[in-house]
Amino acid sequence: MARKRKSLLLFLVLLLVLVMIVSACDQNATKGKVVKIGFLGPITGGDAAEGAAARNAFQLAIDQANASGKYPYTIKVISVDDQSTENVAVSGAQQIVSDPLVVAASGFWNSGPAAASIPVFKEAEIPLLIWGAIRESLTSPDNMPWITRSAPTDKQENIPLASMVLDEMGYKDWFVVSDVGSYGSGNFEAFSGELAARGITPIGSEQVPEGATDLSAVVQKIKSSGAKAVYCGSTVGIGSQLKRQLFDAGVTDVLFCGISGMKTEDFLKIGNTAAEGALVVSPGVILDEAEAGRKFIADYQAEGFSEPIGAYTPYAYEAALILLNALSACGNNPTAETMVNAILNSKTTGIMGTTTFNEIGQTTNVAAYLNVIEDGAWIPYQNSAYASGARSFGGK
Amino acid sequence: MEMFAGLLVSALLLGCTYTLIAVGFSLFFGVMDVVVFCCGDIAIFGAFSIMGAYVVLMSAGLFNTLPFIVCVALLLLIGALFCATLGLVAYRFSIKPFSHSSELMPLLSTIALGTVIKEVLGLMFMPAVNASASAFGGEAALKVVSGRNPQGFPELLFPNGGVNLRYVTIICVTVLLLLLLFIFLNKTKMGLSMQAVSQNKELSMMTGINVSRTIVVTFIIGGVMLAIGGFLVGSYQKIMSFDNGAMYGAKGFSAAVVGGLRNTWGAVIGGMLLAFVEVFVAGYVANGAAYAGVVAFVVVVIFIIFKPEGIIGEKTVEKV
Repeated sequence: MARKRKSLLLFLVLLLVLVMIVSACDQNATKGKVVKIGFLGPITGGDAAEGAAARNAFQLAIDQANASGKYPYTIKVISVDDQSTENVAVSGAQQIVSDPLVVAASGFWNSGPAAASIPVFKEAEIPLLIWGAIRESLTSPDNMPWITRSAPTDKQENIPLASMVLDEMGYKDWFVVSDVGSYGSGNFEAFSGELAARGITPIGSEQVPEGATDLSAVVQKIKSSGAKAVYCGSTVGIGSQLKRQLFDAGVTDVLFCGISGMKTEDFLKIGNTAAEGALVVSPGVILDEAEAGRKFIADYQAEGFSEPIGAYTPYAYEAALILLNALSACGNNPTAETMVNAILNSKTTGIMGTTTFNEIGQTTNVAAYLNVIEDGAWIPYQNSAYASGARSFGGK
Repeated sequence: MEMFAGLLVSALLLGCTYTLIAVGFSLFFGVMDVVVFCCGDIAIFGAFSIMGAYVVLMSAGLFNTLPFIVCVALLLLIGALFCATLGLVAYRFSIKPFSHSSELMPLLSTIALGTVIKEVLGLMFMPAVNASASAFGGEAALKVVSGRNPQGFPELLFPNGGVNLRYVTIICVTVLLLLLLFIFLNKTKMGLSMQAVSQNKELSMMTGINVSRTIVVTFIIGGVMLAIGGFLVGSYQKIMSFDNGAMYGAKGFSAAVVGGLRNTWGAVIGGMLLAFVEVFVAGYVANGAAYAGVVAFVVVVIFIIFKPEGIIGEKTVEKV
């Protein structure tokens, strides 16, 4: 009996030693050999073109940082595909925060998945830097200090577009279309607000279900309304269908404009003639006008990614630069706790200018420019035949 | 009046796309008493097969050497072959193994097969098409980016003939297909066998009809119908997504239920009714586009409650 008890005791002691060794190894790992950063975005699904390109750019920045030798640890990215879906995003966020080596995360192109996942990051006290979701309420006093955003809000994005099409071009007869989703509704309200601020009541407005493919009834309404300009506050799926179906219905003598979610190469799949003249606002700056931007384009292309640079790809790269800057400020042992303040107080000069954050974690670096489809390619509006007057949008 | 005419054309076109998928549901349900829930996914698979084959044929330079109409016929044949094979796969692996189980089993297994088809498209479309195109010396301009991205359906219906000619062709092809199906079902031995199996499987067997062969032929014909349905959906919508199948499947099934699940003509009436409700609610109700789908499904629910056999379906009375 005594011998049995002695064996059991020995077994327990050995087990305890084993646990302590494993624990020590784990602590050693967290002390600087590997630091992990989460990335979330729609890598598959209807918004894959934008999400996968953003993932590429984010990973590119981290790879460049690791190769630079500036960090006394290896930075690894946990990349999660949120499929533009709330429940998938939440489980992805849980996967990220459950990893003890994660010190920060950057995520989301869609506002719905972002809003659904924010509580997960807040509860785990892991800082989240939003690179692409633009619903205004995502950054707020309630979400401080964990949630910051380097992209402009929907309201901030719609302002330069409204300024151009309402103030400079002078369009008055509007038909406003969006989907009923979070992104669409946010833009619908933002642009309607810009119209209201100028005393303009739209001739008509429609919100279609997310993922709608047949917009022919909306097109007939637009056609019979006599609208001279159409605003679409949705992403590329609905935006490109609406533009194509307007073209098919012969509604070509109108301005078609919208928001950055449409500025992907997928929009061009409706055909050059149908896509011609779509005017879309993009956040940020024209990349090839500055040395840093040109270098980013060259580096991205050198990697041979199959997804071309989209409207938010530079923002994902910039988000990675902001997190890297914050990591540098945290010394050799960054933790989620130290990263929270390091991100909030960071001042990062990257490819989009200098980013700092205001009192609710929203970037102070707000820039946007207009793009237009001309002869089957997106080009900056200022360089287009539409700006020079050689071509006209119609509706005038 | 112009708006009414525009909505009428839109409803007719949308009705054509719903109808062909609903006919697939009716054919399969008729001979097997099973709702094959992956009909929408099979149709979208057909559209993607045609898109992929288009890229490969372009890469091989066939569009420069053969007449355009021959190339389109070849594409349709490829789509039909893929969908007929998929129809047989659905029967062999998703339905037949459960022929003596509860009715719920094939229902669930065809839903699962639909998910498999969708995911295979999302994952395999790009590598499969690009590898095939490269084998034929494909150009970079034809490279398919990702199966999960929206895909532009090629302009195969009178590319230089304008949109009206395209719309007329979609309607005419649908009518022609339905007429051919009518002739096949009523004037050929196999068609009559299919009707007999649909009405009473045991009695058909006793009269010497080869039921197994009839079922196989039904799935082949259903697959071909769905392939052409996918082709017309692609030609109408122009932008296709790998996950469109669930939506078209739901609409096609609803149309078949409203018309009468066992009746092919019921599928036509149901498809048109659903499309007209959707389009006219979206067109004439303020902000109706957001609610058009809801109203269409309310119509389906009303039919299920008050006329479960469908508009021209026969009431079945089970004697105790």
